[in-house]
Amino acid sequence: MIRDERIPADELRRIDEEIRSDWETGADVDFEEAIEYHESLPDRKRFADVLESADKPLLQPRAGVPRLDDQIELSKYLHEEGQADLIPTTIDSYTRDNEYEKAQQGLEKARETGDDTLNGFPAVNHGVDGCRKLIDAVDAPIEVRHGTPDARLLAAITFAGGFQSFEGGPISYNIPYTKRHGLEETIERWQFVDRLAGAYTERGIRINREPFGPLTGTLVPPSIAIAIMIVEGQLAATQGVRSITLGYGQVGNVVQDVAALNALKKLGNEYLPDEVVVTTVFHEWMGGFPPDEARANGVISLGGMTAAIAQPDKVITKSPQEFQGVPTKEANASGLRTTRQVIDMAIEQKIDIDGIEEEQDLIERETRCLMDTIFTHGDGDVVQGTLKAFDSGALDVPFAPSDSARGAVLPARDDDGRVRIFEWADLDMDDDIKEIHKARLSQRADTEGRKQSFRMVADDVDAISDGKLIGRPQGDV
Amino acid sequence: MSQTVVLGVIGSDAHVVGITILEQAFSAAGFDVVNLGVQTSQEEFAEEAVDHDAEAVLVSSLYGHAEQDCQGFHEVLAESDVDAVTYIGGNLAVGQDEFDQTRRTFRELGFDRVFDSETDPEDAIEALREDLQITPTESERATISS
Repeated sequence: MIRDERIPADELRRIDEEIRSDWETGADVDFEEAIEYHESLPDRKRFADVLESADKPLLQPRAGVPRLDDQIELSKYLHEEGQADLIPTTIDSYTRDNEYEKAQQGLEKARETGDDTLNGFPAVNHGVDGCRKLIDAVDAPIEVRHGTPDARLLAAITFAGGFQSFEGGPISYNIPYTKRHGLEETIERWQFVDRLAGAYTERGIRINREPFGPLTGTLVPPSIAIAIMIVEGQLAATQGVRSITLGYGQVGNVVQDVAALNALKKLGNEYLPDEVVVTTVFHEWMGGFPPDEARANGVISLGGMTAAIAQPDKVITKSPQEFQGVPTKEANASGLRTTRQVIDMAIEQKIDIDGIEEEQDLIERETRCLMDTIFTHGDGDVVQGTLKAFDSGALDVPFAPSDSARGAVLPARDDDGRVRIFEWADLDMDDDIKEIHKARLSQRADTEGRKQSFRMVADDVDAISDGKLIGRPQGDV
Repeated sequence: MSQTVVLGVIGSDAHVVGITILEQAFSAAGFDVVNLGVQTSQEEFAEEAVDHDAEAVLVSSLYGHAEQDCQGFHEVLAESDVDAVTYIGGNLAVGQDEFDQTRRTFRELGFDRVFDSETDPEDAIEALREDLQITPTESERATISS
């Protein structure tokens, strides 16, 4: 039975050798030599140190293209023209499915034709040397961003290749991304990824780990996201990770977003062991964007404003071309500059908003309910507790495609645009908290003169791309 | 007697929001809903339609590969002796095709009705009631007209 226990050294070595034979570039990984390479990197490329010592939110976009030269050029552009503090390397979808042969074909086609035949950078195929050429060429810390349920080989190669930050986790890269990978399987795979990061950490190379906070990106109630962030942080800490960045995706209500980021920071520090340095990352709106660059810039600016007030350690920016899919490098850089402009104008102002403390208190109480139920389900073990709580529905994520989660909980906005829970299903929450949500949703129903129903959920999902926060009925209210 | 509707997202698509809303809407309208979720194969649609003796099979697709994913779908259904109304809805084509053209394409593939991504769930429910010749109950009629 899989539990929240550290992988023993001999087991780490056995799995490492096994997964490195999955693709030919795995043979080039040499742990001792990799430690030397990391030690040779200048301070300004040390991800954890740069992030943890920053005095205002650092900005990072998303970006990945198949060819190494193009990835270097794109990274430099975003660093220089977009003033990105931290550089991403987004991995392609074939690699996320462990389809290295297909990624190889795509990469070769990209090299022949010059087209972007893959939707990201196939780091496994580029191998340790390819990764290091990228790390050497770009004068900033670089993170691997992906969405891979089984990221063991990707981690082995990118860590040896000089990357010092790795996004994802067993819940956050399973529940929103895939239907069939079992949660137990992904937890086991990610224990290895975290153990490997822990092994580097023990040698003085702190690999930063970043659970993916937005989850399904669609009206996720803050407490559900925060509970999952804490669980993934705990799992990583058990394996020896010491730099953990917990994430949260903007819902668009400024009070709730600031309260959630405050709660994330506070509870992350409280629940994770003292030896872990906890930082936070705020993702600009992950739901549907307006099909209009000017309006999209408005959404991005509200994210910047929220970040200026809550001051997370990092902000993942969006581009005004979000509606169309992968943005041009110019649009990507413009999303960065828009965010920076708003943050820099707002961050030195003292902005007091009523209601943040009260909302934060509610989010904390909800998160504690969920953490308690996980603890109880697992009889003290967070791995078993997570598996059993998802199984019973006591823990759930709205709009989860995975078979490992019920996906029965449904959110809706209240009359103030804060995300509440409309359908609780079996989510384990105190009755008095449920009453608060019920009352807030009932207030909205009164305002709109209609009954609470899934119709509100559907309207809310489309609201921001339609130009509003709350999905009110069409016409006057 | 309540009627059974099998619902799913076809192919490798993982977009779950629309189908979740449809599940709620059809359940609220009195249908028995079997939601197969995302990344559902043609064969799974056929098996579940047979197992549940479904009156309707509703296919959702949002990532633009629907035409490829639906090739031969109605032959698969016919092989399993599925005799159900079939609908498809979502973002059915990559790019800027006129929807009339898209509708024609999917009608030719065998779908009884084709909906774009802007369709309200209520419109699909109304269409299905019409196709299955179901009369709304008095109370539901009142809700609809209010």
